[in-house]
Amino acid sequence: MPETRAITGNGAIAEAMRQIAPDVVAAFPITPSTQIIEDFAGFVADGKVDTELITVESEHSAMSACIGASAAGGRVMTATSANGLALMWEMLYVAAGMRQPILVAVVNRALSAPINIHCDHGDSMGARDAGWIQIYAENNQQAYDNMIMAPAIAGHADVRLPLMVCLDGFIISHSIETMQLEEDRQVQAFIGEHKAFHSLLDTANPSSWGALDLHDYYIEHKKAQQVAMANAKPVIEEVSERFGKEFGRRYELFESYRLDDAERVVVAINSVAGELKEVIDELRDEGEKVGLLKIRVFRPFPYAEIAAALKNSKIVTVLDRSTSMGAYGPLFVEICSSLYDANPRPMLYSRTFGLGGRELLLDDIRDLFEESKRYLNEGKIEKTSDFLNVRGG
Amino acid sequence: MSEKYGLKNWQELALGGVITDGGNAADYETGTWRTWRPLWRQESCINCLRCWVFCPEGAFVLKDGKTPAGKDRKEIKQIDYYYCRGCGLCVRECPVNKKGKKKAIEFVREET
Repeated sequence: MPETRAITGNGAIAEAMRQIAPDVVAAFPITPSTQIIEDFAGFVADGKVDTELITVESEHSAMSACIGASAAGGRVMTATSANGLALMWEMLYVAAGMRQPILVAVVNRALSAPINIHCDHGDSMGARDAGWIQIYAENNQQAYDNMIMAPAIAGHADVRLPLMVCLDGFIISHSIETMQLEEDRQVQAFIGEHKAFHSLLDTANPSSWGALDLHDYYIEHKKAQQVAMANAKPVIEEVSERFGKEFGRRYELFESYRLDDAERVVVAINSVAGELKEVIDELRDEGEKVGLLKIRVFRPFPYAEIAAALKNSKIVTVLDRSTSMGAYGPLFVEICSSLYDANPRPMLYSRTFGLGGRELLLDDIRDLFEESKRYLNEGKIEKTSDFLNVRGG
Repeated sequence: MSEKYGLKNWQELALGGVITDGGNAADYETGTWRTWRPLWRQESCINCLRCWVFCPEGAFVLKDGKTPAGKDRKEIKQIDYYYCRGCGLCVRECPVNKKGKKKAIEFVREET
């Protein structure tokens, strides 16, 4: 029987990991993802899951060990945040280039310096070029559901890419939500058996992984990776549809909230969507035509689908919870690219918020929609790119 | 397959660049890297086999032989120039060469 439980985001991810029952987890702790592995270590110690848990000396080692274990034919997972993900940086590219379907729970936290342990998307956004599939979650239930879907997506024969399931640090990882945990057997049936690919342990068929390419082959291997990313899009839709049929919760590449006839739209990622929906509902009651496009899949980025969803809007505010210093926000850049060929094209502008866990209050969101109303009425964007709620302006 | 260069197209490549034929180092003609060539002088060789031990390519070929006292031993047969990449380690490690009176392995420039 599925179980209704009040549980933290980290706790839910740990349960998902227990149900997925990976062969190997190699991990190093970092706030706010630590509790995922702590809980999972408890499951291993209690014999509730049969996983080889390797506590390594750094996150770089964690990803290295994961890659080795995956190349040896195992289903492999880990969890990290912020500087932990950053320390793995070169190995993220190796995992993707070696086409290993490793699964990582990234609990989004700000990157140092200064040291900040709170919610910020700088970590996963910083890794957006590494070749990993990136799926984001608004709340605990979505984080758990995305993790359950992850093995089927990453391990699909047309894909075979590593995947990160992203959830907001502290806001989701540490908050208790009443959610549904599915039955072990049903989850395992949904995920299916792990298919090893040229396992290093298959000594009857010896293979070598991680070889050298020169100028004559590197770009061809990268092309193959790019095609696999493109293949991931229909695979994600397929797995999400199957998930919907099996467990009753339906997911798509992104969520369109009151978007159909919306004139003023906000695009955002993760938990801030909850607050946005709250304010949108209030404004809708007041007769304002507002809506939300909540990103779920950031890599591969669904340019065409997003362009189609935003085509009737008049003005779009893109919220980034991370920076690309010296340039526009990562999500803003993608949204602009999606809409480049749209005719007519909505007005577009960027607001960066919430870095290092800075709150965005409901009143701030109301102000945001007021500003977009003013821009729309005047037909002019006063400031294309700005930070929200910075003391001193 | 690229007609002009005989190179594979991206669709023809193994996933992640995995190499599935084990032991394919044997097909790699490292001998093409050579710019200097070791020449083994049988008449000066004492069959200590240090050259065979130190050769990183396994380019020294051994044969069965006998010690002057008649016991079985392995002896140097020849250098396999398919693999010899002219690194010169054999020339450097040869104890006959080190003594300095004569050379059991000479090192000469490869003809262009």
